[in-house]
Amino acid sequence: MKNFNWLALGFLAPALIVITVFFLAPVILTGIFSFTSMSTSTGVTGGEYLLNQSGIRALADKGLNTATLDQLKNAGYVVDEKGLAALAERHGVATATEMRKLHENGQFSSRRDMERALKSLKANKIRSTKDRKAAAELFKHSLLNERFPTESKFRTAITEGGIPLEDHELIVTQAYTGWVWTVDNVKLLFSLPSTLRYAGNTLIYVTLTLMFNIGFGLFLAISTFYLPAKSASTFRAIWFLPRILPPVMYVLLWKWLTWDTGFIATTLSWIGVAPINWMLDTSTHAWVVVVLINGSFGASLGMILFSSAIKAIPSSILYASEVDGANRWQQVRYIILPHLRWPILFITSYQTLSLLTSFEHILLSTEGGPGRATEVWSLAAYHIALDNYGGNLQYGLGATFAVALVIIGIIASLFYLRFFNFNEMVAKPKIEG
Amino acid sequence: MMTISILKKALLASAIVLSTTAAYAEDITITVWAGGSNASDSYRMDAIEMAADILSKEQAILGNELNITIEKKRDFGGWSEFKQAVTLAAEAGKAPNIVATSHLDIAPWSEAGYIVPIEDYLDLDAWPINNIYDNLLKIASFDGVQWGIPQDAESRPFFFWKETMSKIGYSDADIEALPAKVQAGEYTLANVLVDAKKAVDMGLVEKGYGFYPRASNGPDFAQFYLSYGGVLQDPATGKLVLDKKAMTDMYQFFVDAVAAGITRKNHIGTDGSQWYADVANGKVAMWHGGTWHYGRYTGKEGNNDFFGTIQFSLIPAGNEAGKANTITHPLVYLITNQETDRAEEIAAQLINIASEPRINTLHAIKSSHLGITKQQSNIELYSSNRWASEATERLLPHASSQPNHLQYGAFSEALWKGLEASWTGVQTPAEAIKEVEAELKAILGDELIIR
Amino acid sequence: MSHNFRHWPIITILTIVSLPLIIMFAFQIIDTFTTHPIDSMIPNKVTFEQFSFLWDEAETGRANIWQVTLNTFIFATTTAVVVCTVSMTTAYALSRLNFPGRRYFLGGLIILHAFPTVTLIIAIFLILQIIGLYDTLLGVIMVKAALELPFGIWIMKGFYDNVPWEIEMAGVQDGASRFTVWWKLVLPQVQPGIFALMIFSFLSGWSEFLLPQVLAPGNDAQVLSTYMTALIADDTKIDFALFKAVGMFYALPVIAIYLIFQKKLMNIYGGGTKG
Repeated sequence: MKNFNWLALGFLAPALIVITVFFLAPVILTGIFSFTSMSTSTGVTGGEYLLNQSGIRALADKGLNTATLDQLKNAGYVVDEKGLAALAERHGVATATEMRKLHENGQFSSRRDMERALKSLKANKIRSTKDRKAAAELFKHSLLNERFPTESKFRTAITEGGIPLEDHELIVTQAYTGWVWTVDNVKLLFSLPSTLRYAGNTLIYVTLTLMFNIGFGLFLAISTFYLPAKSASTFRAIWFLPRILPPVMYVLLWKWLTWDTGFIATTLSWIGVAPINWMLDTSTHAWVVVVLINGSFGASLGMILFSSAIKAIPSSILYASEVDGANRWQQVRYIILPHLRWPILFITSYQTLSLLTSFEHILLSTEGGPGRATEVWSLAAYHIALDNYGGNLQYGLGATFAVALVIIGIIASLFYLRFFNFNEMVAKPKIEG
Repeated sequence: MMTISILKKALLASAIVLSTTAAYAEDITITVWAGGSNASDSYRMDAIEMAADILSKEQAILGNELNITIEKKRDFGGWSEFKQAVTLAAEAGKAPNIVATSHLDIAPWSEAGYIVPIEDYLDLDAWPINNIYDNLLKIASFDGVQWGIPQDAESRPFFFWKETMSKIGYSDADIEALPAKVQAGEYTLANVLVDAKKAVDMGLVEKGYGFYPRASNGPDFAQFYLSYGGVLQDPATGKLVLDKKAMTDMYQFFVDAVAAGITRKNHIGTDGSQWYADVANGKVAMWHGGTWHYGRYTGKEGNNDFFGTIQFSLIPAGNEAGKANTITHPLVYLITNQETDRAEEIAAQLINIASEPRINTLHAIKSSHLGITKQQSNIELYSSNRWASEATERLLPHASSQPNHLQYGAFSEALWKGLEASWTGVQTPAEAIKEVEAELKAILGDELIIR
Repeated sequence: MSHNFRHWPIITILTIVSLPLIIMFAFQIIDTFTTHPIDSMIPNKVTFEQFSFLWDEAETGRANIWQVTLNTFIFATTTAVVVCTVSMTTAYALSRLNFPGRRYFLGGLIILHAFPTVTLIIAIFLILQIIGLYDTLLGVIMVKAALELPFGIWIMKGFYDNVPWEIEMAGVQDGASRFTVWWKLVLPQVQPGIFALMIFSFLSGWSEFLLPQVLAPGNDAQVLSTYMTALIADDTKIDFALFKAVGMFYALPVIAIYLIFQKKLMNIYGGGTKG
């Protein structure tokens, strides 16, 4: 008995590892991310401490007293004894003496000015740009634009810069470049007007596509059932292709069909219809195309499952009905459809979940347009987290969107598990009890 | 004779000494990624390779053997895929050494520590940087730090199809005077609506082809916001500005254009090749585009008489509040944070050399962009190019740029969303502005001024 | 079946609704090998010019098509092998072995299917970065295989469920170990399932677009789907004929596999319909 469990563990181990690393860990991480301000500018793995002009401005807004502000702003570069001594050590006393003669106690607000001052050395030129830049650093007093890897280093630096202790906290908080914990994402999710639209779009998308998938899948399965084997398999083959063609290519075909210069527009122009973009003309066009693209892709699943379920119906029942004089519609209505109840429910639940989370075809075709009309929730999550023109990717907010989807997905699956008599599905194996 | 051969021997000997002292050869691979680049933009990467050749030769003279391998990549799905790739690669410590990208990326990428300031390595007062236009250099800087070097310059003009303009009643002299009238604010976007409508009503162009804007998001639309008196960044505080009046007017302009039948309601998302074919051959009365379009119009689209068929100007003012303007959106070379300082330094040197006027001119002319240095006007290839010199003269003095601000991306994204929603009739401009305002307030917080 | 019904009305209706797809597929093939005048759909010249991307030298900054094809092939094959191997053992355990927590494992499997994995991609990126597989083909393969697993396990479990218990009972009674029974007796029974899953995973790997794009942006790990989107994005040369030619090249293995294994592919759901 014992070794059976070891066998089971061995058999399950690869899947367990993969699922832990690539499903569970990402979900947990995403959950964590959704409560952070993570974005491109904060980075994913943590931050450093940096004061720049924007930071100084923000500090002013946050009420840092002006004396400290000026201190931070104007420290700049000073030709002082300490710097001159360091210069003497590196480039010789003569250089330092000349520098003292030319610029003693000189103050420079920018590095460029400091470098220019060093360039003005005549007798003791520092010729290489690299050396000159290093020499300029010797006179630096400003903390601006310098990155400090740790908080303690940064605190030491501002202490040395003579910043009053009571201002440290504010400055340190502002200077941190990494992400911080926040519930702003959740608040944003509930306050952004677009959230509601994405939810609505998702509802439209899932409902319509599902109806198409089921309805058309049924139609294909039933109609091909009544055909001779050869023509039946031809039609099934045609409708199976969208599923296996690479999406990039499959969507390109749809673009070719619906574009302004595409097939529909060109053909209709022969009868005098002005060419329009049949994919993006209005949101209705976009929805029709999105549903057709995803529907043609998804209908094959229903087609195959329903076909095999129909085949499983004992042919005697069908013959009997024909003998009784049932017409085709009655046969479908009273014999075939009742037999398909479970497959239909299965596909409904399976595809609801798939559709909720899939956006690849929409991304490749309408990209959510026109005017965000076809931007569904999962696509919005992708756009926010990974793909916006401005370039500051909002990982935190995107994660919040994703988590919402995870929660909906889990609730829906639990519901379906109840519904589909889970206990029977997981009936105990017959050996080893 | 004797002395010469002795000299030769001495030189030879010293050369041998040099080569033996430089026994160790340094091999380094520099990766260059260029965003938003087409085949004609190949010099964004090739220039770095040329620079590598020069740098190696310079080093060889000093007796150092420096072998630089350049790896180039430009085929990304689009701008957003490119930015996504650079961001994630940088996060993973695998960033390409050099990126040619939008100057707008400087703010987020510098904050994240993905890039290092080029001024750490280059003397800004030395050739060729001291010859680069100051305003361009400024665009490549952020918070007073010179992060990058401009890679090219461009500007986004308004175009008129001359034949259509003359058929609706403009004399040749009028058309010649148009750019000046636009600049003076005498020809405004209101005139655009009227004239484009005329062209449609007279059947000179099809319905929806009177005014033909860019078909996707881009910096171009900020120009129309400026045309109505909008301001992008408050100069005093550095905060971004949402001028609701200007933004509403700007949205309304596009809604009016759709209502008048001069712009298609479904214009956004128009296929790129179709867009170019339409504007380059007179299917369209007026449109706006970029200086680099010249190459496409005269090249692939086969317009052999650009100056005879097309007039160009600044983007007209919208009303008294705004001015005629154009936005320049130069790409910049940035160097990324690498494990070794050496890789960053060499990358910086390569960018420095690639910014040589003569090398940059190759890119400027091949891709129909504008030059970055003053001396390019003294280079035959550049100065003999009518488009480069006329466009530089007419547009660049009036060019502004978008602000380098951490949140500008979110700002421009929201601006576009609102425009798209109004344009396609999903929302009215007023509704769209309301949503834009709510969204920007939520995302930008203190960094936004609403007027 | 049902000889008293006429076929032609059904065939007519089916043909009409299938027309868009038929037209798309037909022109996909026609346009690839011909050119046609602007404003017309009717070809006037046969050409192979559109395939010049296969032998022309790669442009500056663009990956070599053959390298990309090789990458795609490695990607799809390895994914298929990993998915099949892991599904084979896991599904057997779930179908036939008794162990604590089996119920939850099965329930979890169904829930996994509902995960919006692609929107978790930032976290996946972070994990790949930690284990050092970001921007490598291997990394994308691992992720793709993981995402295909719930589907694969589910399908294989269906096939195992259909294997009669008697086979195993007999084996166990003859004194064979459970492992031997699985390896020698049960596996041959589910061969059609393994085969169908193998092909399916290969096709799915061959088509994958988002994962390579986000997780492996470098030239070294590029695959055909990203190559093709990059090509479409290049706005100096929007050219449907070229896209279609590249698409044709891209889809060729898919179509070949499809034509050869059509029947077996349709079997993919053969086991899993009872749920």
